Amino acid sequence: METEETTSDQLGRSTALRLQQLKGQLFEVALVAATLVGILAVLALFVQISSDAFQPETASPAWFLVYLGTLVGPTAAFTLYARRRPAVRETNAKAFAAVFGGLLLALVTYAVVDSLSPYDVFTYAFFASLPPALVLAYDRTTEDRTYTGPAIPASIIVGVAVAALLYDFVRGPIGVAAEWILYFGLVTVPAALLVWTLTASRRGRRSGALAGGIVAAGGLAVAVASIVTGANASLLVVLYSAFIVPTGYVLWRSVRTDPEGRVGVAGPFVLLGGTLLGAAVVDQFGIRSPDSFLTPNLLLQSWDGLTASNAGVYPQIVGSIIIVGFMAVLAFPVGIGAAIYLEEYAPDTGLRGRLATILEVNISNLAGVPSVVYGLLGLALFRRTLGFGTGIVVTASGTLGLLILPIVIVSTQEALRSVPDDLRQGSYGMGASRWQTLREVVLPEAIPGTLTGTILALARAIGETAPLVIIAIATTTYSPPSGLFSSGTALPLQIFAASANAKPEFRHGVVPAAAVVLLILMLLMNATAIVIRNKYGREN
Amino acid sequence: MSNEPESGVGSLQRSGFVVRKERLYGRLIAACAVLTIVVTVGIILALSGRALSFWSEISPIMYFTGTSWSPVIAQDYGVLPLISGTLIVTVFSAVIALPIGLAAAIYLSEYASDKARSILKPSLEILAGVPTVIYGYMALVYVTPMIDRFLPFSAQIIPPGVPVLPEFTFVMPSLGTFNALSASVVVGIMIIPMVSSISEDALSAVPDSLRQGGYGLGSTKFDVSTRIVVPSATSGIVASYVLAISRAIGETMAVTMAMGMSPQMPYFPNVLRNLAESSQTITAAMVQIAGADSLGTGPTYEAMFALGMTLFAITLTMNVLAELVRRRFREEY
Repeated sequence: METEETTSDQLGRSTALRLQQLKGQLFEVALVAATLVGILAVLALFVQISSDAFQPETASPAWFLVYLGTLVGPTAAFTLYARRRPAVRETNAKAFAAVFGGLLLALVTYAVVDSLSPYDVFTYAFFASLPPALVLAYDRTTEDRTYTGPAIPASIIVGVAVAALLYDFVRGPIGVAAEWILYFGLVTVPAALLVWTLTASRRGRRSGALAGGIVAAGGLAVAVASIVTGANASLLVVLYSAFIVPTGYVLWRSVRTDPEGRVGVAGPFVLLGGTLLGAAVVDQFGIRSPDSFLTPNLLLQSWDGLTASNAGVYPQIVGSIIIVGFMAVLAFPVGIGAAIYLEEYAPDTGLRGRLATILEVNISNLAGVPSVVYGLLGLALFRRTLGFGTGIVVTASGTLGLLILPIVIVSTQEALRSVPDDLRQGSYGMGASRWQTLREVVLPEAIPGTLTGTILALARAIGETAPLVIIAIATTTYSPPSGLFSSGTALPLQIFAASANAKPEFRHGVVPAAAVVLLILMLLMNATAIVIRNKYGREN
Repeated sequence: MSNEPESGVGSLQRSGFVVRKERLYGRLIAACAVLTIVVTVGIILALSGRALSFWSEISPIMYFTGTSWSPVIAQDYGVLPLISGTLIVTVFSAVIALPIGLAAAIYLSEYASDKARSILKPSLEILAGVPTVIYGYMALVYVTPMIDRFLPFSAQIIPPGVPVLPEFTFVMPSLGTFNALSASVVVGIMIIPMVSSISEDALSAVPDSLRQGGYGLGSTKFDVSTRIVVPSATSGIVASYVLAISRAIGETMAVTMAMGMSPQMPYFPNVLRNLAESSQTITAAMVQIAGADSLGTGPTYEAMFALGMTLFAITLTMNVLAELVRRRFREEY
């Protein structure tokens, strides 16, 4: 009797236990589902939007087979090969960064300088870089370097002011020069100097000068060759200096110094070669490619609201880049400065301590202010108070700069907070001042974290639309901005404006393609941030 | 810079120039920090100046109690339809995002392996990083037709024969081109990471000793998660809810593109009709005014600032509330 009871009791308990277990499992499944549902929904929408942009269903199966053979297969094989070998993987990552980063840098530089006029950019760049160069040269000749630090920013400001004053005198003589010479001065000369200093620090002065000289001579050769053949000398000079030179430098160094990972250099070329080979095969056999809307036309033409095949977003892309780039110049120094004050300077107690608390609360509140409200601030500040014109680049940059300021501050603060205090104490112990400690010890340690945060802030800014609508930035312009005070537009605004276009080839074609371009821009920035964060994490 | 720096090797005193340089840098940096206060003051001044001049022309009573918003055609400046539109989107996006976000936070903090977390966390963050125009476009072009495939849908709550008002039949009409439902869905998706990341921080901050205590008493993981960890992190979770709702209220492009521009007072009692039809939020009304040609003057233009002021007041209150909740009810361990 007694035993029977125990058994049934145990049975009952085990059923209860099993129910408990089931409940726990169901709960976990529900949690996983909840975590995934948002991600999967957005993924599905991305698939939709890119399928509209690329129209893969219009391609013949042979097209997919060709690219499977030339691009996907080799790339997958190479990835599998590199996965097991850390040295190869590392070199591969470096080569990818050099090749695609360089290519992107070259194209962006060319597009931006071209739209802002190379003559103007050269004038300002020349006057802004000459005085600090002189200061640095003087610095090498003397022992006492107390004044060099403050003299450099001061000399840059003086240089820009002089350029602005003398603009009318100088612009004439500079205007005589051929365009490629200006690009040579803007891009090739810095590239050559960079190669010079990098090589000189590793292999001595003479090789440094030699390497720099080779780079500069190569630039001249490229220019001469393209003039002879009638190609676009400016673009080729930029491509040579910002793409070929860094790629060549990185690849050459990897091949020479890293015998284990040498193979990794081939990674980007497997990808590029596969694409080119696939294109050649498709062309040769007349295989039907997809009627993709993401065409060179889309990237290089200006907008056309009537014919989908003519519609392009070149002015919008360049406008976005210029707006966000100038915004970075405005907002990052201020944001980083504010973060340094809050983390390194502000005391915890007393009147100043209370001020710091107020600042912190204020910054977290600013981060929660809706972006439309920043649009109103920009309207009131730049249009009414400063009297700037409607829809110009400076207004857009300034407004977005105010918007991302809290993000920059918070992420920089986090980066500064993660610098261990021992380093500061060590630096103070050796007699360094607060500023010296900051400049030599704290900031270099905090740079990766700061960069990650600021790049994410850039990615946020490039997709921001509402404040730009409020400050009345034009939705469509037919040429990229020609200066900081000229009108420009941004890519998300064009997407907003074109979303009302009900024609199917726009609704399910051009606009998704433009959205894909915007998403790719953002993903590139995010990927850069992640790469920097991972590299930094590994080093620690 | 006239005095020579005393750079004697034995001198421990910094030269006057260095001291002054340090002080200058310190002040420059402090000025950067103070600029953030200037931004806040700027926002308040920019909004209040125009908003007050608007309210001196249009009486605030009319503004806050009027049931018709038609600034361009009828010169009606009643804000209630806009608040109703904002509330519809906010409520339904919260219905989507708050439970999902909390569940994701519990999963990430209590259940997920390190590897799963390292993949899922950044993926969730991407949801907040996608530009809102793209969300708006997706809502307009993809989400609306996708949902509309299942509509209209009707079910009677009360069995037939019982004499009640016909409105008590559960009816979800088919969606218009512009509708609040698709806007709510995308806004809900976009605020999930806000809930999940702040809640996860709160859940992770619950000390392990509480969990171990729970296990020691024979609790299952389910019990520990739902009865110990979540209640201990309530303040953080509530704060994340408030911040996410505040973000939904301020969201602009997605609701402008997906929800349209026709301000409506809410339909009652069939609340679902509100979701199926076009409506307008405060933010969308601001975009509409900014996009209109009559820029620079007139009460319509100033109405934009009044709306901005309203929006700013609402979101600021909510953000302060979230901070207060977090501070006041923070469990000290």
